[in-house]
Amino acid sequence: MATNLGLWWALFAASVKMFVRNRVALFFSLFLPLIIMLIFGVLNFEGSTTISLGIVDEAGNDASSALIEQLAEYEYLEISEGERESELQELEDGDRGFVLVIPSDYEPGVPPGDTGLVAYASTSDPSQAQVGQGLLQQAVAGAMVAAFPGSIPDTPNVTGAPVTFESVESRDLGYIDFLVPGIVGMTVMQLGLFGVAFGFVQLKRTGALRRLFATPTSPAYFLSAQVASRLVLGYVQVAILIGIGIWFGLQMFGSWLVLAVIVGLALLIFLAVGFAVAGWAKNEDQAAPVANLISLPMLFLSGVFFPRDAMPEFLRGITQYMPLTYVNEALRGVMNDGAGLIDLGPQLLGMGIWAVITFVIAVRLFKWE
Amino acid sequence: MTLPSAASPAAASSARAPIIVVTDLRKRYGDLVAVDGVSFEVAEGEVFGILGPNGAGKTTTLEMIEGMRPIDEGGAVIDGVDVRRDSREVKRRIGIQLQASAFFDELTLIELLDLFGRLYGRAVEPMELLAEVELTDKAKSQVRTLSGGQKQRFSIASALVNQPRVLFLDEPTTGLDPQARRHLWALVRTLKDRGHTVVLTTHYMEEAEELCDRVAIMDGGRIIALDTPQVLIDQLVGRGFTKARVERLANLEDVFIDLTGHELREED
Repeated sequence: MATNLGLWWALFAASVKMFVRNRVALFFSLFLPLIIMLIFGVLNFEGSTTISLGIVDEAGNDASSALIEQLAEYEYLEISEGERESELQELEDGDRGFVLVIPSDYEPGVPPGDTGLVAYASTSDPSQAQVGQGLLQQAVAGAMVAAFPGSIPDTPNVTGAPVTFESVESRDLGYIDFLVPGIVGMTVMQLGLFGVAFGFVQLKRTGALRRLFATPTSPAYFLSAQVASRLVLGYVQVAILIGIGIWFGLQMFGSWLVLAVIVGLALLIFLAVGFAVAGWAKNEDQAAPVANLISLPMLFLSGVFFPRDAMPEFLRGITQYMPLTYVNEALRGVMNDGAGLIDLGPQLLGMGIWAVITFVIAVRLFKWE
Repeated sequence: MTLPSAASPAAASSARAPIIVVTDLRKRYGDLVAVDGVSFEVAEGEVFGILGPNGAGKTTTLEMIEGMRPIDEGGAVIDGVDVRRDSREVKRRIGIQLQASAFFDELTLIELLDLFGRLYGRAVEPMELLAEVELTDKAKSQVRTLSGGQKQRFSIASALVNQPRVLFLDEPTTGLDPQARRHLWALVRTLKDRGHTVVLTTHYMEEAEELCDRVAIMDGGRIIALDTPQVLIDQLVGRGFTKARVERLANLEDVFIDLTGHELREED
């Protein structure tokens, strides 16, 4: 047993060395995601100047709807309406810049200093909040003037600001917070499909794998050492990516342990996919199109770079069941929203089902030669 | 030598205890009969050659004996171990050089030999093994940097990690230049002198004549002739064969070696 363990370690160490010394594999599995992250990080898609404004209409009268209508005219306001609790939750989660509450006794004609309008502001980024407060104040005042012409003086700023602000503890999520979990998901997928499939198929084609058959050791040792080495390397890669992400301002709101569980499950899924492809294919020419066929749709439709909300409805419906979609949702859940394992139940269930499916396929398709 | 007098060297070698006994070996792939009832014995310390055109079933025969490929019918016993019963034990006792000598490209020669030693549950001295095949200067290089001849020699070093009683070499000199081939011949003779039994396949008749105590000629999955090279030649001549052109005192390869020397070239 002790000698078997020693042998296993030797095979594990050899697997790690083989991977680290293979520049092509290293490039595609580690440097490519890093480069993509840097490029997208530099492009910085959050450069928009819109303010996400949640409105809670507690008055529900003509006056309040007229006000909302006028506010909608402002292009820099991105308005959504909802209940007080849900909107405040969105604010806490960093999905709203402000939440404006129109009180139940809101009426037209009240002087601007006495509107009772309260806007809850996120505390996460004070400098931005200041600018946002100014813009919102202007917009509300302007909207009031436009909604009830003549009822109040034309110069609301002189007589007093219509909105009082209250700050709410909340998260400020930037594009980097969205991007890094997606890149982590993509990296795990690429490691499984390209890091494993191509390396293993090459061993198969050249006959290096057959050479192992000439020894009395069961090739299962080698296979398990390969799987273990890729698991460890996957964690190392994810750690490096997240480390660099943090340097770029990435925030982590959840538990590292939950993140590790998700990454581990994701690695298992895509390692199984990789070994299924590698076990089925006779050479790289067979493996390449299949690996691309599997990875490309997920790369673009699983929400790696952009939110899936932007997708057409039917496409979103189909792609929500893809393994990488579950992985990305779970990763964002834990990193952006601090979700626990129980909150991520649906995603973990989806991943678990995929892990079983891919494992069965890998076992079925695997051929040593 | 106190060997009993015998009619032929073949009889002399089979008088020693056979270390390989192959009986009526058969392998079929669908409609194709790859190996069709092959039987032979190899004596300990012998160099045994299997010759034949491509597709004759040489490699399949070898791989069944080595425990690398399931045997359909018949059997093979190596060093007293039945391959069909315990292929793992057979692998423990033999060394195998595969036709395509591929290894994990990113590992160095030392690392690979060390790893192969572990696969046999043995601690090895990589430098000693490399010295035997004259690759000590490449010890810390990765396999992918080796030339064809160096790869073949390394492949033999890797087949020696378990100090095997029988060594199987599948086309060890295919693709090598004349110098590298001669170099490998010398290595095989050294192994024989050390008491290893060697079974090899080859397409080069001069190689078989040079190295093998006995050869089996295969065609269509069967052994069609089996004896010492000299006896086979004598038999042919006995049947009234004469060469179209009388053998000269030297051939072109002798000229080539004379002009370019015995010294080994490496294409790196």
